[in-house]
Amino acid sequence: MVSIQQFSECITCHAWSPDQTMVAFCPNNTEVHIYKTVAEKWEKVHILQKHDQIISSIDWSIKTNRIVTASHDRNSYVWNLKMSEWVPSLVILRLNRAALCVKWSPEENKFAVGSGAKTVCVCYYEQENDWWISKLIRKKHNSSVTSIAWHPENILLATTSTDGKCRVFSTFIKGVDTRDSRTGAGSRFGEQIMQLDLSHTWTFGVKWSPCGDTLAYTGQDSMIYFVGDIGVSPTAQSLAFRHLPLRDVLFVSEKMLIGVGFDCEPMVFAADGSGTWSFISLLEKKTAPSGSKYGSQFTGAFGKFYGQSKHGSSNDLIEPAKPRGGAHENCITCIIPIKKEGETWTGRFSTSGLDGKIVTWELENYIDILR
Amino acid sequence: MANTLRLYLTCIRNTMEAAMCLQNFPCQEVERHNKPEVELKTSPELLMNPVLICRNEAEKCLVETSINSLRVSIKVKQSDELENILTKKFLRFLSMRAEAFQVLRRKPVQGYDISFLFTNYHCEDMHKHKLIDFVMQFMEDIDKEISELKLSVNTRGHLVATEFLKQFI
Repeated sequence: MVSIQQFSECITCHAWSPDQTMVAFCPNNTEVHIYKTVAEKWEKVHILQKHDQIISSIDWSIKTNRIVTASHDRNSYVWNLKMSEWVPSLVILRLNRAALCVKWSPEENKFAVGSGAKTVCVCYYEQENDWWISKLIRKKHNSSVTSIAWHPENILLATTSTDGKCRVFSTFIKGVDTRDSRTGAGSRFGEQIMQLDLSHTWTFGVKWSPCGDTLAYTGQDSMIYFVGDIGVSPTAQSLAFRHLPLRDVLFVSEKMLIGVGFDCEPMVFAADGSGTWSFISLLEKKTAPSGSKYGSQFTGAFGKFYGQSKHGSSNDLIEPAKPRGGAHENCITCIIPIKKEGETWTGRFSTSGLDGKIVTWELENYIDILR
Repeated sequence: MANTLRLYLTCIRNTMEAAMCLQNFPCQEVERHNKPEVELKTSPELLMNPVLICRNEAEKCLVETSINSLRVSIKVKQSDELENILTKKFLRFLSMRAEAFQVLRRKPVQGYDISFLFTNYHCEDMHKHKLIDFVMQFMEDIDKEISELKLSVNTRGHLVATEFLKQFI
């Protein structure tokens, strides 16, 4: 862990600027706040106001320095920085339900919006009209689309939905994409490459591994799913763990993944030589609560006995739950790598949660776990 | 006795801890709405299987979960007519002041005495463990409260009877 910064009461999502000096987040309302580090301190520099319901997702493009926001008010805006002012431009989403998640494609010429209307919009820029226009993937999902992820080669798009399925689509758009990519070549727009029906509950947090060979997503039943060989005959591994469900995941490498969720602490998963994934540990080892272990059993029993005989009934029928000692105090909803353009990723990432904190982590500090 | 109650409460606590994994989720049937799915039950895929925890026939607890809300309904022990009427009056008194409790429902689910409704907004504003502690404390206190009320009613009845019968001596 490098730093903990309390920004507001509650954060729904956050995103970093291309040079990592600014962070944009939604403090659980209709605004986007942008903070900048100035001499080790965070200063509020911009407030983006245009939406009229809670903002569900933000993404900041690295190459083009644009922010895209999606909101429950069914709209999405692309914000451009013009003369130190963020100017919104409308996106024609043609949605009639809330927009739930948004992501720039790796090339940043498209972005995708998952929605409560059981559709995915893939948006691209139209020069003539100066707006972002969308193509819809319709009638493929049976429920809300909770999360989306772009394959590094810019064509394939993975989605998870509350109907418990994970799907992969081709998003080839004529005039925007070229046919020279390895994956999804020769496919039509909206063509379903794969559908996985592994979970019994709703799913979210879908991510591709850095090379795009593995796909991971999580279910509400405390399961995480790993999918390899994307295509006609995929291989899948379902992994159950004993903690509360995960909300989002992040691939650290091809063989390692970090998951965050309702347990308020990042968890590390890794694959062994044969490609079998397993749960390794929590990223931060919990320190034992203060208070000596020595003789605690005896004193506890004695105290109970004493208390009961004295008062007739014990008041401490159930001990109150203790707050957790980790960096986050509430559900972590978002995990994002911190990466500068053109550089290789060094292992820094940030998490934000419903407790209003953004925590930055440095993987180098956890070498013993990673080994 | 206290021991079985402890087990019952621990079971409810563990169930609630696992069930209270809620997120903000807008309605996918009605435009621009955001309502507790456990109440509306519009889409079956957003609901989980309800869990029923029974201590005995008279005391039980139903935990229903959905993607953005959790409903906990409690049936309080009522061994005789007097306890029945005391429970009814007491919980009615509380239910009428449901706003003050935030998580209390104005009307219990059918077959139960009192219902709590937790939404993702409660989880955002308040600590999850405190919310669960509140229900645990409530369940502990309600039994105590009812038996105290019963005792005072009985004492009063006894006194009144004695005073009344004095005139015949």
